Amino acid sequence: MLDRPLAPPPVEVIVAVTQALHREARLLDNEDFEGWLAMLGKDVSYRLELKSRRFRADRSPPLPFGPGVIFNEDLGRLKMRVDRLKSGFVWAEDPPNYIRRAVSNVEVLATQPDNEVRVHSVLVMHRNRIDGTTRLLTAGRTDLWRSEGGAWLLTAREIVLDHSVLPDSNLNAFF
Amino acid sequence: MRFERIGREPDYSRYMDLKEGWLDRRIFSDADIYEEELYRIFARSWLFVAHESQIPSSGDFLTTHMGEDAVIVARQPDGSIRVMLNSCPHRGNKVCFADAGNTRRFVCNYHGWAFDTAGDLKGMHEEYCYDAGDIDFKNHGLKNVAKVGNYKGLVFATFNSDAPSLEAWLGDFRWYLDMILDNEEGGTEFIGGCIKSVISANWKFGVENFIGDAYHAGWTHDSGTRSMNNGQPFPPIDMDNSYHASVNGHGWEFGTEGVGDLFLLGRPKVMDYYNKIRPKMEERLGEMRSKIFGSVASASIFPNVSFLPGISTFRQWQPKGPMQFELKTWVIVNKNMPDDIKEEVTKGVMQTFGPGGTFEMDDGENWENCTTVNRGVVTRHERLHYRCGIGRQIEHDTLPGIVYRGQYNDANQRGFYQRWLDMMTHDEFGKMPARPEPQLGNVAETRDLPGLFAL
Repeated sequence: MLDRPLAPPPVEVIVAVTQALHREARLLDNEDFEGWLAMLGKDVSYRLELKSRRFRADRSPPLPFGPGVIFNEDLGRLKMRVDRLKSGFVWAEDPPNYIRRAVSNVEVLATQPDNEVRVHSVLVMHRNRIDGTTRLLTAGRTDLWRSEGGAWLLTAREIVLDHSVLPDSNLNAFF
Repeated sequence: MRFERIGREPDYSRYMDLKEGWLDRRIFSDADIYEEELYRIFARSWLFVAHESQIPSSGDFLTTHMGEDAVIVARQPDGSIRVMLNSCPHRGNKVCFADAGNTRRFVCNYHGWAFDTAGDLKGMHEEYCYDAGDIDFKNHGLKNVAKVGNYKGLVFATFNSDAPSLEAWLGDFRWYLDMILDNEEGGTEFIGGCIKSVISANWKFGVENFIGDAYHAGWTHDSGTRSMNNGQPFPPIDMDNSYHASVNGHGWEFGTEGVGDLFLLGRPKVMDYYNKIRPKMEERLGEMRSKIFGSVASASIFPNVSFLPGISTFRQWQPKGPMQFELKTWVIVNKNMPDDIKEEVTKGVMQTFGPGGTFEMDDGENWENCTTVNRGVVTRHERLHYRCGIGRQIEHDTLPGIVYRGQYNDANQRGFYQRWLDMMTHDEFGKMPARPEPQLGNVAETRDLPGLFAL
């Protein structure tokens, strides 16, 4: 972690990064996966770790291989997921599901190096599936975004899902 | 011990004809049949509750369900494992809300009744309010199950004091189970956590998919296979050298090509690891089982546990009403694997059969809609077709169980529903037919048996 607090980023950075989050959500809602991949850094890491309910006083050691992950992806793996979605063989997505993402509670924080920012946000995802069932998922996200060639690229995302039991049969969606 | 519903003696045999090969859809949707399943199947069977590696030390515990009964599974100071109802005998409140952890006591939130990890009542808030003779501490602990058993690391429990031994319950299926539980010195462990998800489907659809439904893979998982396999679809199955084997409702479907499931895991290092230990595996388990391990395969233990040997996902389908189950999944590995191989397995499992996995994502919707269409009263009275491969039963000199040739088959599914019917119909375990007659009944250790011809 950082030793000293850094000055907040300039307003124009905050606006640009916040807009990037909103744009990202819109591209994904519209299934513009190529557009979304173009917003990712080459070194992107994309993770969703599991949680388990423990007593507050519990002192047992953490699991030797961590709690397990649902997503632990790099750019190649994310491209593979997109290829799968575009393959024309994903029966559970045909006709398409409706997904709407709402992004809020955006905090843009300075970090080092100074062409990067750390970003906290909240994602609410509404899924309406092909059989009409509706699910609401909420998650907290902590990102790193990097300014590169005049654009902001996502280089790391840690997703914390607010459900100890997933209320859906799959997580066939990007957070 | 029997738990009987009063005034219900329906004839369940009218819901299927397995010689003809059909099932009535009401067994997947009817609320009364589901209730009866809780009594006759879940309150009487041996049920998987934990892998011993999940609770290695004294005071380690986890919470789970046996049927819809919430239970605590706890490691005792003497190393034994106890399984008890997660419900206070005072007013019935749940006493433990954590998924897992380590503790000395379980304390009920309502009146502070406190139990040790064996479930014994140790005290309560304002104990002075009870006069002498009001309460016998000895008889007011958390109710323990009738029996706990352990087969090579898998811990099972049953509420049924008349149940046969766990070894007899698993019977000849132990020969197959050794392929995942005992293919290397040191046995197995679960690593990482437990993923839970809710699926709006009948629990039996999950079990029957893993017990025998290799057939769905090439179509349902076409997109996943192509994305893992340079755009190529699932290869055709070798129908001559692949099998279904069923033992008392447990079932394993498998090829003998040795690599299919390992390939689908998508982690070449894991494939290399198994290829390296395969000669030793052959010494340990015999040629046939060393050829089966790693092949395209899937299996279920009656009534509600499934796994993919080679892909290493291990799972339980927990019933939550006729049209809902909770899916719990874990990663199972060999204890003696190097850490980097364990990490590779974990990654591979999540990328294929986690809730965000390239294969898992295709299944849930199918099972949900196989179930929920039966809300329609006309639909639910229609029959389902389970006749695939009905004439392909064989006698095999190596493979125990009821064996059918050809991996694309409904044979194990028919075996599962036959056991379901036997349990729904028979009051006494002793009168339930063995399917088939046990061939390895007197064998204490099945690891050393290359196959039936060795007997």
